[in-house]
Amino acid sequence: MRNVAAIAWREIRTYFTSPLAYVIIGVFLALSGYIFWAHLVRFSELCLRYGSNPYFLNQLNVNDMVIRPLFGSLGVIFLLMIPVVSMRLLAEERKSGTAELLFTSPVTSGQVVLGKYLGAACLLLAMIAVTLTYPVLILASDASPDMKPTLVGYLGVFLMGLSFLSVGLLISSMTENQIIAAVGAFGAFLGLWILPWVADSATVTLAGLMNSVTFGLWEKLHLGLGGPTLGDLLNKLSFIDHLKDFQKGLLDTEHVVFYLSVVFFSLFLTQRVVDSQRWRG
Amino acid sequence: MIEVVQLKKMYGDRPAVDGISFSVRRGEIIGFLGPNGAGKTTTMRVLTGYVAPTSGTARVAGFDVQQDPIAVKRRIGYLPEHPPLYREMVVRPFLRFVASVRGVPRKEIGPRVDRAIDRCGLQQVAGRLIGNLSKGYQQRVGLAQAILHDPDVLILDEPTVGLDPSQIREIRQLIKSFAGAHTVILSTHILAEVTMTCNRVLIINEGRIAADETMEALAARGGRTRRIALRLARASDGAEGQIRAIPGVLDVRREAGQEDVFMVETEGARDVSERIAERAVGQGWGLLEMRAVTLSLEDIFIRIIQGEAA
Repeated sequence: MRNVAAIAWREIRTYFTSPLAYVIIGVFLALSGYIFWAHLVRFSELCLRYGSNPYFLNQLNVNDMVIRPLFGSLGVIFLLMIPVVSMRLLAEERKSGTAELLFTSPVTSGQVVLGKYLGAACLLLAMIAVTLTYPVLILASDASPDMKPTLVGYLGVFLMGLSFLSVGLLISSMTENQIIAAVGAFGAFLGLWILPWVADSATVTLAGLMNSVTFGLWEKLHLGLGGPTLGDLLNKLSFIDHLKDFQKGLLDTEHVVFYLSVVFFSLFLTQRVVDSQRWRG
Repeated sequence: MIEVVQLKKMYGDRPAVDGISFSVRRGEIIGFLGPNGAGKTTTMRVLTGYVAPTSGTARVAGFDVQQDPIAVKRRIGYLPEHPPLYREMVVRPFLRFVASVRGVPRKEIGPRVDRAIDRCGLQQVAGRLIGNLSKGYQQRVGLAQAILHDPDVLILDEPTVGLDPSQIREIRQLIKSFAGAHTVILSTHILAEVTMTCNRVLIINEGRIAADETMEALAARGGRTRRIALRLARASDGAEGQIRAIPGVLDVRREAGQEDVFMVETEGARDVSERIAERAVGQGWGLLEMRAVTLSLEDIFIRIIQGEAA
């Protein structure tokens, strides 16, 4: 555990002693800040216009109209920015030769992977934490958003960021080239993001698929041809779909489990990739 | 301390290290010598556990590098060919980081880092960014990270490459000071380096061990053949053949670029200079100069690499 902490701490230190963290957090704040402000302005306009009408006033809800869209936007910004954070994680170590230092130290490859991941996760946490100022800022006003669903939304965005980061780390472990790592990660994120676009047209059921793969054996064994379609499965794998409930303020273990499984699975694969590189030399 | 048996490493279907065996005793400084691409770096990477061998075993301090990698790594300090430095870090925090991943107890990190900084002469740059240091200082930081945890075995891959002459001397002095307490493996393609710092030399070529000898034994190889340089004013065309006919002469060559100089290889046991002189005078070649040429280590090295029976 001490090794993991040392590696993670060095990673965090490097972010904050170089311009990296400040540029990333700065750009992230500027973009998300603008989006938040735009929603807020629109909300206050609506309030001014319909404030005298008690029926409409009841429909106006700061959580629904300002904070919930913010989480969606944060997700999109993550999609674009996390590849930049993840690309260097292992690719740079290989390129600069410092991998040779880490992997000849008495630490396991799993500890290296976990240390690097936790270091980057802390940067992610810092990025999200600064945006907490937005809801807190309007907490003092008459709008007074409900903080519980807000925090659930933040948890959702953070979990989604963590799962993106783990996939990015996996891709970074496969190459020495940071550009390839970034482009690969971006492609993977976008692919996972837009899965539902094709999902609706995939109406073939999973059982039907199994039936054609086994040349009709499935049907003969009376395993049934109904049940979920391939589209249902793809929908379950979509990163954005699992964020929706969090945005509404619903904390469902299904989604927490989904994101954490992605993290564990990616970290496991990363460790295997790193280990296999010893054999290829 | 180090035992390597039939170690083999393939990159694709090309062998980088092709079944080498050797052992190193505690406290020895051993020089790994060989041309570029001979397999020096690969052997070192296997010893440090950075790459896995295709077959064969390597043991460090009794621990197998494959079975017990962590135990081996704890006992090794390693300076790769390109010093593994985080360019964006300051020297002292970098060394503290290395100390902690190398498993130095928390309380000892401070004193150990100070000592490594002292030994490697880094006092003046301890507060500077590694990326801004000169190549020589970067190399020293690399050396400092290798000796931080006081390892039993020190593996240095071309530690003096890219340094200026005075820095090279300092680094060599430093390496020599490790003798006795540490076992050192040092790779280089500079012969003088081995002569100055090592007790034993291991010459590898094309993935195989070409020679494994103490420095004295290597130097003694030069005594087995003797070379005589001959300068003649009016050498006839048949001169080479006539000299070769003298018993005890192994080979005669004209020196490239110097038409009148002949290099005569003779058996070490017999001194045939007198006969050669007689022949030269008798034939009226005009003997201008005759001197014995001793084989330098450089020559011996090249002969071993080329596979000649030196």
